[in-house]
Amino acid sequence: MEDRGLAKAELDERFSALYRAHLRDVYSYAHYRVGHHQDAEDLTEQTFLQAYRHFERALAQADGRPLRPWLIRIAHNLAANHYRDRSRRPAAALDDETPAAAAHDVEALVSGREELALVLDGVMGLPDDRREALIMRFALGMDNREIARALGRSEGATKVLIHRAIRQLEGVVARDGGGSA
Amino acid sequence: MSGPADVERLLERALAPVEPPADLASRLRAALAALGESAVGELEAWERAAMRAPRRWARVAVALAAGAGALVRGRRRGD
Repeated sequence: MEDRGLAKAELDERFSALYRAHLRDVYSYAHYRVGHHQDAEDLTEQTFLQAYRHFERALAQADGRPLRPWLIRIAHNLAANHYRDRSRRPAAALDDETPAAAAHDVEALVSGREELALVLDGVMGLPDDRREALIMRFALGMDNREIARALGRSEGATKVLIHRAIRQLEGVVARDGGGSA
Repeated sequence: MSGPADVERLLERALAPVEPPADLASRLRAALAALGESAVGELEAWERAAMRAPRRWARVAVALAAGAGALVRGRRRGD
């Protein structure tokens, strides 16, 4: 009983560290994935609650590898179920509090706002797997190996997926931006 | 915009990380704490119930009887 208690305390401590390290990652993913502030909060909460339930097994299976791809995969699956159940896709327009607003100066905001909106719209219009890969790469800074683990693909396939996503987005932006973006 | 490098620069800005709201963090901590407590509580309650439930006693008694019977039969064959 005491051993189990100690093990649980250690597990909780490790989960707490995981949570602190990746709350922003999961929320960022959820934010861009579902495009709505309240849904993003719900998705983040459900992701961590589910992760907590399976944490011990995940630790054993990870064998020392980072757990961020596992967390994002949980969020990815939950989001997919959410849209399957409700037959809806993420909103093309994100909430007013755009991420750019938090991170960039006024001049960049004014001059680049249309460009950024165009790119965001383009991302939201991509096929699911391409959109997910771009969110993981650019919002979370995940490398190909991590993205591959989160999406359940090979690294090679992931590299091709990202390349094609960027090429497709380039075409969308050139078309919709009239070449001026 | 002229190429993939430009699109990547725009993507870095458009998909900047988003800070979670402060109340989300505190709500999550509370939910996780409650989940942890309920998991321990459920386990302890299950253990207590297993010791007290007469149905489980019957199962244990049947299992013991079956084991004893097998042991006796094994010894007879050995003789």
